[in-house]
Amino acid sequence: MAQEKMLSGCAAAAQGAKFAEVEVICSFPIRPYTAIMMELARMVANGELDAEFIHGEGEHAQVSVALGASAAGARAYTGSSGVGVTYAFEVYSPAAGGRYPLQMAIADRTLDPPGDFGSEHTDAMSARDQGWLMGWAATPQEVFDNTVINYRVGEDPRIMLPQFVCQDGYFLSHIPDKVILPELSQVREFLPPYRAPHPLSPQCPVSHGPQIRPDQGAPMDAQRAMTFLDLPKVIEKATDDFNRIFGRNYDPFLEKYKMEDAEIAFFIQGAHANTCKSAINHLRSQGVKAGMVRPRWIRPWPTEQITEALSQVKVVGCVESSTSYGGATRGGNLIHEVRTSLYDLDKRPLVTSFMAGLGGDVIMLEDFYYMAKILTQMAKDKKTHQLVYWVGFEEEI
Amino acid sequence: MTQAFDYKKQILEPIKSLRGAPREEMYLPGHRTCSGCGPALNYRLVAKAAGKETIFIGPTGCMYVANSSYLCTPYAVAWIHSQITNGGAVASGIEAAYKTLMRRGKYDGPFPNVIVMAGDGGSVDIGLQAMSGLMYRGHDVLFICYDNESYANTGIQTSPTSPYGANTTFTPPGKLIPEGKTLFPKDPPQLVIGGHPAVKYVATTCVSYPLDLMNKVRKALNYDGPTFLHMLAPCPKGWKFDEKLTLDMGRLAVETGMWTIYEWENGQYKYSHIPKKYQPVGEYMKYQGRFSHLKAEHIARMQAFVDAKIQRIKAIPVEAPVPTPKSGSKSRA
Repeated sequence: MAQEKMLSGCAAAAQGAKFAEVEVICSFPIRPYTAIMMELARMVANGELDAEFIHGEGEHAQVSVALGASAAGARAYTGSSGVGVTYAFEVYSPAAGGRYPLQMAIADRTLDPPGDFGSEHTDAMSARDQGWLMGWAATPQEVFDNTVINYRVGEDPRIMLPQFVCQDGYFLSHIPDKVILPELSQVREFLPPYRAPHPLSPQCPVSHGPQIRPDQGAPMDAQRAMTFLDLPKVIEKATDDFNRIFGRNYDPFLEKYKMEDAEIAFFIQGAHANTCKSAINHLRSQGVKAGMVRPRWIRPWPTEQITEALSQVKVVGCVESSTSYGGATRGGNLIHEVRTSLYDLDKRPLVTSFMAGLGGDVIMLEDFYYMAKILTQMAKDKKTHQLVYWVGFEEEI
Repeated sequence: MTQAFDYKKQILEPIKSLRGAPREEMYLPGHRTCSGCGPALNYRLVAKAAGKETIFIGPTGCMYVANSSYLCTPYAVAWIHSQITNGGAVASGIEAAYKTLMRRGKYDGPFPNVIVMAGDGGSVDIGLQAMSGLMYRGHDVLFICYDNESYANTGIQTSPTSPYGANTTFTPPGKLIPEGKTLFPKDPPQLVIGGHPAVKYVATTCVSYPLDLMNKVRKALNYDGPTFLHMLAPCPKGWKFDEKLTLDMGRLAVETGMWTIYEWENGQYKYSHIPKKYQPVGEYMKYQGRFSHLKAEHIARMQAFVDAKIQRIKAIPVEAPVPTPKSGSKSRA
């Protein structure tokens, strides 16, 4: 029988890994993701889950252990937060280039300095171009679901890529919400056992990761890039199957909220979207036609879907929870790709960005009202006055 | 994890003579190492001794860069590249995978020999953390440090095992630093022995003593749990000696006390190949261009370092290496 439980994002991730019947787990403590590993350690210790649980000597080792396990044909699971995510950086490209579909949970944490436990997406965002799948959940339920869906997509023989399954630290990782835990048989129907096409095995003596010549590099890069072209249809099918088997109603790529007649739209990822939706309800009651688009994946970036979803609005405000110091807008990361997704429209919306939710700051309802005011003004003026607004640091408008 | 499970451990018999060594090669010709390459010969012997039920992990180094050209690698057994940093960690993951896969009935072969073939940098410099993690956690993995005493593949830069006085491209002798490298090397086996209670077997050997080398590989593989072998692998290019002298350099290293051959098993040291009378270190150094700039006082410092090391051996009871005990399939908790 499916069960409903109150679980934090971390506990939901651990349940996702358990239901995915992961075979090798590698841990290292760093807040806030640590709670995932504490849960899994408990499950292994009391026999709920038959897996090898390895205490890595750091995040670099965690991803390395998972890489080795995945190469040998095991379903591997690891995770981290903040500077742990950046410490493991060397191994991200080998994991993707070697086509090892291991999974890494990330519960975001601000990078140092100064030491800050708060959530911010910069840790994970810094690794977004390493060839992994990447996306943020907005609820503990979605964390559970994304854990299972990511293994299904990443292990698809056409894809074979590792996955970052991200959630906001604390806001999601440590706040319980209702989570429906399915039957194991449902998960088994959805997620077949992992079969590595060329596992590292004495029964199949192949060489993994040999040296290539420079002229062999471009074709391999192209092949990896091409995989991302195949990804949308694999994600669509996996989401359809998931919705059918588990009785859910996910759009494969985007959560759209009150977008049917929206004139201004927030583009936001992760758990702050929940506050955003409450803000939109209030704004609507005040006669502001606001809506929200929340990407469930940013790798692959759902370009066509974003173009379509935002094509009818007048103004888009990207709510950035990560930094891109010195980038095109001197602000965050999402706006670059949102603008690119809209550039070829004949009648494209204005796009600006808001630096908010940095360092673990809560994005309050008032912050969204402030942003809405700017977006409304832009719609009225038909002009982008600024590419970036640092919420809380700008002059009153 | 907690339940006893029979992992079908392989037992490799001792090789009694070179003539009796397996004919089958698991490390094949066709690679791009320098002529006279000590590490390549080393690899061939290790692979031969280990046999086909083996998985090699090759951290970046000469044995990766000069060996593993795409579509023509020399490995006839399963092999995976790891970063120079993480040989121990990747090996841990592979070993852990086989444990779960065998418990869940997804793999029916014998438990594979999992061997890391790391250079000195990949073992005790940038690779130290991952190596130590593996040794600490008790994975059933053989970690081999093939020691050519420098970062040779990148153009002979000093590593923590480069000897005192070596001229490397990061320790060139000059007016202010006449001896080149001023530091004395790390001692890899002692790093392992000194702080890893899960380790029961550590040994040193050298490519110039192939029977000793192959039997230590087999003995290490027969152990349940982590083992470590430190192998001297002379490098004609890095040490600047005539390429036909590779095996002679290994023998001279042993005969001068620059290299000692021993086993450490369950807390006991057993030395072998101890010369009746040690030759002066100069007899070893004079063939090698990396030492040609040294003055008598530098060589005297090297001699004093070696004398102190040999002194330690004399304090330890000396025995020949014991052959591998025969035993059947073992089960592990």
